[in-house]
Amino acid sequence: MASLSSYRRQQWLIVAVALVYLTVALLVPSSYYQLIIAQVVLWATLGAAWNILSGYSGLVSFGHAVFWGLGAYTVALGMVFFNISPWLGIPLGVVVGVTAAAIIGRITFRLTGHYFALAMLAYPLSILYLFEWMGFQEVSLPIKRENPVAYMQFQDPRVYCVLALVLLTACLFTALRVEHSRFGMSLLAIKQNERAAEASGINTLKWKMLAIMLSGGFAAAPGGLYAVLLLIVTPPSVFGVAVSSLALIVTLFGGIGSIWGPVIGASILIPLAEVLHGEFGDKVPGIQGVVYGLAIIVTILFAQQGVYWRVRDYLRGRRGGELTETAPAPEAEPAAPVITLPVGKAGGKASENAEPMLQLSGVSRRFGGLLALNEVALNVQRGTIHGVIGPNGAGKTTLFNTINGFLAPSAGSIRFEGREVVGLRPDQLCKLGIGRTFQIVRPFARMSVLQNIVVGSYVNTTSDAEAEQRAWEAIHRVGLTKEAHVAAGNLTTKQLRLMELARALAPRPKLLLLDETLAGLAEAELDGILSVVRQLCDQGVTIVIIEHTMQAMARLAHHFTVLDHGSVIADGAPQQVLNDPRVIEAYLGKRWVERAAHTGT
Amino acid sequence: MKLHTVLLAGAALATGLILSRAEPAWAQQKDVKAALIAPLSGPWARQGELVRSGAETAIEEINEKGGIKALGGAKMQLVIADAGDTTEKAKNAAQRLLSQEPELIGGAGAWLSSFTMAITEVTERAQLPWLTLSYSDQLTDRGFHYIFQLSPTASRQSELTLPTVVDFAEKATGKRPKTVGMISDNTAGAASFAKWVREGGAEKNGLKLVVDEVFTPPLADATALIQRVRSTRPDFLLVIPSNVPDNKLLFEKMNEFRLGKGVVPVVGNSGSLGAPELLKTVGKDLLEGLIVSVGTWSMKGQEEIVARYKKRTNEPWMTQDSLMGYAEMWILKEAVERAGTADRVKVAEEIRKMDLKDGPAALSLPGGIKFDEKGRRVDAPLVLIQWQDGEPKSIAPADRANTKANWPKK
Repeated sequence: MASLSSYRRQQWLIVAVALVYLTVALLVPSSYYQLIIAQVVLWATLGAAWNILSGYSGLVSFGHAVFWGLGAYTVALGMVFFNISPWLGIPLGVVVGVTAAAIIGRITFRLTGHYFALAMLAYPLSILYLFEWMGFQEVSLPIKRENPVAYMQFQDPRVYCVLALVLLTACLFTALRVEHSRFGMSLLAIKQNERAAEASGINTLKWKMLAIMLSGGFAAAPGGLYAVLLLIVTPPSVFGVAVSSLALIVTLFGGIGSIWGPVIGASILIPLAEVLHGEFGDKVPGIQGVVYGLAIIVTILFAQQGVYWRVRDYLRGRRGGELTETAPAPEAEPAAPVITLPVGKAGGKASENAEPMLQLSGVSRRFGGLLALNEVALNVQRGTIHGVIGPNGAGKTTLFNTINGFLAPSAGSIRFEGREVVGLRPDQLCKLGIGRTFQIVRPFARMSVLQNIVVGSYVNTTSDAEAEQRAWEAIHRVGLTKEAHVAAGNLTTKQLRLMELARALAPRPKLLLLDETLAGLAEAELDGILSVVRQLCDQGVTIVIIEHTMQAMARLAHHFTVLDHGSVIADGAPQQVLNDPRVIEAYLGKRWVERAAHTGT
Repeated sequence: MKLHTVLLAGAALATGLILSRAEPAWAQQKDVKAALIAPLSGPWARQGELVRSGAETAIEEINEKGGIKALGGAKMQLVIADAGDTTEKAKNAAQRLLSQEPELIGGAGAWLSSFTMAITEVTERAQLPWLTLSYSDQLTDRGFHYIFQLSPTASRQSELTLPTVVDFAEKATGKRPKTVGMISDNTAGAASFAKWVREGGAEKNGLKLVVDEVFTPPLADATALIQRVRSTRPDFLLVIPSNVPDNKLLFEKMNEFRLGKGVVPVVGNSGSLGAPELLKTVGKDLLEGLIVSVGTWSMKGQEEIVARYKKRTNEPWMTQDSLMGYAEMWILKEAVERAGTADRVKVAEEIRKMDLKDGPAALSLPGGIKFDEKGRRVDAPLVLIQWQDGEPKSIAPADRANTKANWPKK
């Protein structure tokens, strides 16, 4: 968990870096270098703003120029047409940026991955043409000889450095707060696996909207100041691809997903490019582009996550690392707590006639012409381990996706604890007490096991302390206490499965859907997991587990449901189901049914 | 914490890098330094190169002829900076020159009007006299005292082009044209020219605007634009693009639709329509007869200048950009001679008082060198050129033109 002391330390570091910049700005003798410093700070702010959305949530935006440009044009047009001073124009620009971000986010968050990135690219490009069409090819901020200060016009460029530093500091403090709150953790969870995040009870759209609005506002502010600094605004200079890509380049080079990345990137690349351009520009025109191109190549070859992470990993490696087992846990680690849980009747001996905890009737799901689920009926009794088996493509995962709200059933009803739950979102179902794991584990590799699990425990908790306490509880339950501070990237497959289990357990679900938790494990590792699952059941968690390895399942489950081609073909006690000829046929083919009949197994 | 140390070290390193460069190169020579900021990289690099070659020709000639006599034959030195492809780079270039070259007496640049806008925000505050060939009216509408605009402004060019062209047509064919078509792109200069035509300019000259098409460069396909021209058949067509590839598409498509070679006479406004590359990519047949209004062009009285330039650069002819670069350096030289000192404020004063009718500076621009209180060249005449036999030749103003206009007769 990002500790309080580290948070404080980073805050002081921001202040320190701002002071260093300020000192440099005040000391450099020429107005040219002061201008460059002001630009470094502005581009760093844009990078930091970009980072709030793209660095944390992983939704790469190729279009942050749209916010930058809107900020710049708000200031320029406000001053030209309404005589609004940039002192007011920049805050106004922020409002415009936030509003634009809200609209863009609402539309574009329907997309993910590359589609999102490319859609974002379209916004500044189309707005560029819009502004040209409206006749704003060149808007110059009128010079104010009478009262320059009221219009943010200073003789001394150092004032602009100070103003830019104020923006950067504000942006970094905000980013730091985001990083160290459930907001940032939720974004990180979205970055790793949006579906898993939803299943962990995170309202992904809400956080993504908040992130883009914050990001848009912080990108518009330096855009506005940029207009004041250059005194002329043209659509290509503020909406151009170069603006969006510079935001990306400084952040990628400096370190993505860290508040320091854009600061480092801008501090190195912008002066380097500018100095080279100044020195050799008349002999080697276009050297700036070469610098940025090389920066990208170097980043890709030697430090995919950027300079900051590379240096940090290197330092940690040399010192033995904060995240290794030997390092003492920095936070108070609660001694294995006595877990008191709302335990039902323990041990899978729930009476058969009690009302089922989960009840599916007539659930169908169609994908176009394919009927993935065909009138599935399923009753899961409280306190049992319920196995769902079936060959590949039988519809098992679709069944889970339907239960936890990723997919709406085309027909049928799903009742959880007597309540109809069709139509609820995954995060709402998670709050009701349905947790799940995924076939493919996607850990947050750089975060510790504890941090990985805290993300899941924000649901139903009000304070971060409570969330952390619940995370510890889940860790104890799966037996990962010793590994709590190990980076998830260093875990074995078995430990990863356990961590995934703990993540699903952190919100204290009543019903746990396990999707092939045993897949890919060696025989010896299997036992460890099986015992944990049994233990959970004994503690009162009802479990539905998908598996296609029959043997392990037979040792674990109290009840079997067999799916084939989307239909339930058998349902009952394990032994009875395993001898059912239809099941054997589904798994092994007709020939084996005959053989089974002969040998009498 | 070590991480912090590294961060601080990085910041210190960056600072060191900056500081180490901050020492101005206090050179021992007492050369008189003039600045040139031009786009030498990016989409306008070719134009910047043409300006530069013109300026270098002038500097070479000045020094060959004994330098600045008033300063004991001091040599003139050109300090060049790349304006790149953004206003930010252009402004940075200006700021850098001013802080690294405290002895500058003046400068010129930076071709594209938005770059010039940004640069002059810096030079004005530093009281550095700045000469420019950019057309935009806005440049000299800001109440600045240290900017001097050599070309006729954009609005003056548009006001003068139509009546002049209409007169040509009437003289050649015996009747005044009645309809005009217009194809323009939406860059700043083109947009303001087109706006003037659209909002009363055509009407004032007795012309009906029958086609008015705007495109965003780069042009992908000119078919739709030229189809509109073919269906309306205006008496002549105004073309206001800004770069060579777009020009090529437009002219080839006109030829394909059998509108080329004077069937619909074409009048353009853009330095790019007189570029030597255009001849190579489009070919002389398709360009024959094209009339273009420009800031200046090579004309009578400049034979020596043009010969010197051609010899030095191997360019086939001297364009607006090179001539302007040449003229700008000579104007600065004359001003320093008169001021008798390398003090930029005094140099600016001399430019304001200047009224040159003779000498290389005056010869390179038709109409003489005299500026009004806004910094615009007084009575800067419209310069028209026409492609004739594979070379753009000046056809107006009449007293300096190399040849006569040749309006295609149908």
